[in-house]
Amino acid sequence: MRCDHCSHDVPDGVFCTRCGAHQGTTEEFGNAKTREHRYAAHPGEHVAQPSVLTTLMPHLGHHKIHEFRWAFIAGLAGILVLYLAGLISAAILLSAFLVPVLYLIYLYEAQVYRDEPAIVLGFTLGGGIIIGIVATVFERIVYNPLQYSANPFSHAGVSVGGLLIVGLLLPVVQEALKPLPAFFLPKRADFPETVDGLVFGIAAGLGFSLAQALIGFSEVLTALPAHVEPGNWIYDLTTLAVFQPLLQGSATGMIVAAIWRWRRGRLAGREIGAVAMAVIAHIAFAGGTQLMKETSVNSLFILVWQAAIVGALLIYIRYLLHHSLLEEAAHMGYAETVCANCHMHIVASGFCPNCGMALTAAPNAVKRSRRPRVESPASAARKS
Amino acid sequence: MALTCARCGAQNPDGNQFCSACGTPLTAAAAAPQSAPPPAPPSWLATPPQPAAPAAPVAYASPPPAPAAYASPYYAPAAAMPQAPVHRTPWILIVSAIVALIVVMAGCGTAIALLGGKASISGGITPDLPSPSPAGSPSPVASPIPIQGPSATNPVVTVPVPAGWAVSAKDNESITLSDPNGLGFVSVASGLQNPHMTAQQQKADFDTVWKSKYPDTVECGGVRPTTGSLGGVQGIFWQLCFTIVSSGRSLPAETDVFVGTNADGSTWYGVILVTAQTYMQNLKSEAAPILKGIQWKLK
Repeated sequence: MRCDHCSHDVPDGVFCTRCGAHQGTTEEFGNAKTREHRYAAHPGEHVAQPSVLTTLMPHLGHHKIHEFRWAFIAGLAGILVLYLAGLISAAILLSAFLVPVLYLIYLYEAQVYRDEPAIVLGFTLGGGIIIGIVATVFERIVYNPLQYSANPFSHAGVSVGGLLIVGLLLPVVQEALKPLPAFFLPKRADFPETVDGLVFGIAAGLGFSLAQALIGFSEVLTALPAHVEPGNWIYDLTTLAVFQPLLQGSATGMIVAAIWRWRRGRLAGREIGAVAMAVIAHIAFAGGTQLMKETSVNSLFILVWQAAIVGALLIYIRYLLHHSLLEEAAHMGYAETVCANCHMHIVASGFCPNCGMALTAAPNAVKRSRRPRVESPASAARKS
Repeated sequence: MALTCARCGAQNPDGNQFCSACGTPLTAAAAAPQSAPPPAPPSWLATPPQPAAPAAPVAYASPPPAPAAYASPYYAPAAAMPQAPVHRTPWILIVSAIVALIVVMAGCGTAIALLGGKASISGGITPDLPSPSPAGSPSPVASPIPIQGPSATNPVVTVPVPAGWAVSAKDNESITLSDPNGLGFVSVASGLQNPHMTAQQQKADFDTVWKSKYPDTVECGGVRPTTGSLGGVQGIFWQLCFTIVSSGRSLPAETDVFVGTNADGSTWYGVILVTAQTYMQNLKSEAAPILKGIQWKLK
């Protein structure tokens, strides 16, 4: 058939395998070429759906996503059980490790690191941990929470100094430092796609988050008795287990993805917006949380605020990645492969003609098994 | 010899199994008679996963219908085509890893807490503020002693400022001094109150405010409130332990509090010391000259 949008002769299918455009009439969903109703990494979802796992783990097919989702739920249930049992130290440790460990399993599953597991994991997760240690030590020098703790006798109100440090200085410094491990990744030419940069950035951010959590909570870990009244620890545990790692991971992932796009010669409003969005979201997250804590806002509202910020970040990541995949997958050329999303055995170029998944977002093992077809000179000449 | 694609007519180099333009299997297309039934899909293809596969074309128009005799080969290649070795971690391994993480973290967390946590809280912190006395005892009114050296004053109180201490905040009702190491502070305050309140009511109000800011606030190590006097004012002493969580950092902290009122409850007096639980004894030693030198102005 001839694609409605790129006008190439492509295999029959619901999606063009060269440009990914949705074929046929899709007015009720919007633009068929940009097909934002079919997120390129997980076509069963809309781009604007703030799904955590399909955004941060774009290489997983929908079967695997369910497995990771259940593993994540099991981890959260473990935190809840430890909390209810009053084992707060254990719950803090589990909260700090849950998402980074889950991501490590994902990296192994998708083999995003290809032939360089040591280098990639060292420069992303490992580098993030080192940067996290350095940044947290720096943070302790410039910010002492005791100086800005509550004083019900004083009418000083919100501490502007503390707010500026926590809500502005630290987020900006962190977002400047966290992408460094991925930025200096050796052999990065072997990982040219934006989805690679996104995953490396997320890994670096999660490494940072792990170090930040362990160092930040070290005093509590060594001071709390083995069993304490659970109290309201659930709010801080939720932030520690879910929102802090998601913020740190997704913000860094988005910045590194934008850097990857820049290296491919694509630096437009979408990429600049991604960097700005990451920094602004981090400032809003940290500053808003600090402000609400100082003004004694209910902890539930703080969690709602954090969830809203993280949700917005996730949607922007999907928006950035979706359009990157649409632009980058076309270069792949025809090959026999298996779609990681719908598991169809297909002959396709950049997109599965059946479900529309961008094949650059397939796990590495699937990419390796592609059996490419050399494009004929006649076909090339005809295209020109 | 170039191979012509039966579907799109593109010329393909000899040896190509698939059309480089449209992907049609050249050999299959050439060999299969037009009326031949489509190849049977492999077993793994028979029931494709429903959620990922696009729904039946209700929301969009179907692709142009294929010729009646044409079986699209793109989703159902020859059975001989080997399935790609998709790397898959068994789900049981993924869930087991998380369960193992829970068990290991529960063990480590409990061990760390047992080894390091108990000493800092269970021992309690003995109040070191001046002259605790049994509840209900009359309060001795101290004679004002002129403060030697630097001091800070406002309309309600005057406090000495020992060397190294700094006034970090001051308003008409309170003066806050930061300790020389920046590890804690002392805040002294007083004011008129209407309606009149007792020290016990003041304490209840303070606890409510503090717990709203630090929800895990508890009385430290089972130490009970005591009554006594400070600067000639009768009141209640007690200690609260809580956790400060700020900017990804968590700190076990403590506040030692004194609140008192005058005889008719029209004036309140308050002092708080705030620092890390591990530093409270040091702070109280450092702050002793301040506490001893407090001069309330409202009587």
